[in-house]
Amino acid sequence: MGLNAQTAVPTFTASQVLTAAQQNQINTGIPVFATTTTRDAAFGGSNKTLAQGQYCYIEASSQLQVYTGSAWQSVGTGLTYITQATPTAVASVSINNCFTSTFANYLLLIDMTAAVGDGVITARLRSGGTDSNTNYVGQRLIGQATTVAATANPSGTDDAYFSTIQATTASSYALSSNIYSPALARGTVFNTFAGSNDGAGSVIQFVWNNHTTASAYDGITVFTSGTSFTGTIRVYGYQNS
Amino acid sequence: MADKLELDAQTGIAVERDFTPEELEQRKQDLAKQAEIAAAIAAQNKLKEETIAKLGLTIEELKALLS
Repeated sequence: MGLNAQTAVPTFTASQVLTAAQQNQINTGIPVFATTTTRDAAFGGSNKTLAQGQYCYIEASSQLQVYTGSAWQSVGTGLTYITQATPTAVASVSINNCFTSTFANYLLLIDMTAAVGDGVITARLRSGGTDSNTNYVGQRLIGQATTVAATANPSGTDDAYFSTIQATTASSYALSSNIYSPALARGTVFNTFAGSNDGAGSVIQFVWNNHTTASAYDGITVFTSGTSFTGTIRVYGYQNS
Repeated sequence: MADKLELDAQTGIAVERDFTPEELEQRKQDLAKQAEIAAAIAAQNKLKEETIAKLGLTIEELKALLS
């Protein structure tokens, strides 16, 4: 039985003098720390000894974590919310520091509410606030009504193609992209699915992109070649185990 | 209306700003590239329609012949 294992959930009466043992017993709540650094400094020494079953909450990453006895692991259902951007009538959105080595793979969701100008939605990985604009390859499969078409590198090789978008039907646009290993020193793969009610009918697009540069990136920029877009971009991390 | 929204996921700070000169230059290149791609696709579609018209078939009839 570890130090955090309880044998009772006690109640106390008014004016009762609590012993140190009793205080320690109830000192198993979920402490909140700013970062993993302040978390690590808070245990040991004159503080509580870190032991299996200890939970904590990290403000910087919005993560609930548990100590297994040898390491801290995130607690959740497999998907951890990272952040969201809510652009209003802008031509591009950069999200910095959303990719870390904590997660190998990420989910990006784009939910449009409006757009000005028809265009193409593309993305670039970024590091230290600078976009990477080389070494993208891709393949698109697009279906509209009874027509299916395939295109290689539909936006060239300087960005990752996501989809087309039409201003008049932007509110029906939704995109999800599974992004593999953006923060690892290897190539990054985007598997993207987008759909919308286009001018000529409903359209769906499946796109695979590979950024072949073997570098770690900490962010992403999403662009429209139209005038602007409005909506929400959310980033989640898939837990590794 | 700003050109760009930049969000830091760690601090939660979001800033709306105009493009830097470098970003503006990249934007111009991107728009030129997309216009070039759109023109190429339009030309390809036009050629396809003209070919079908020369054959005197509808798209459905051509699909049936090719299937």
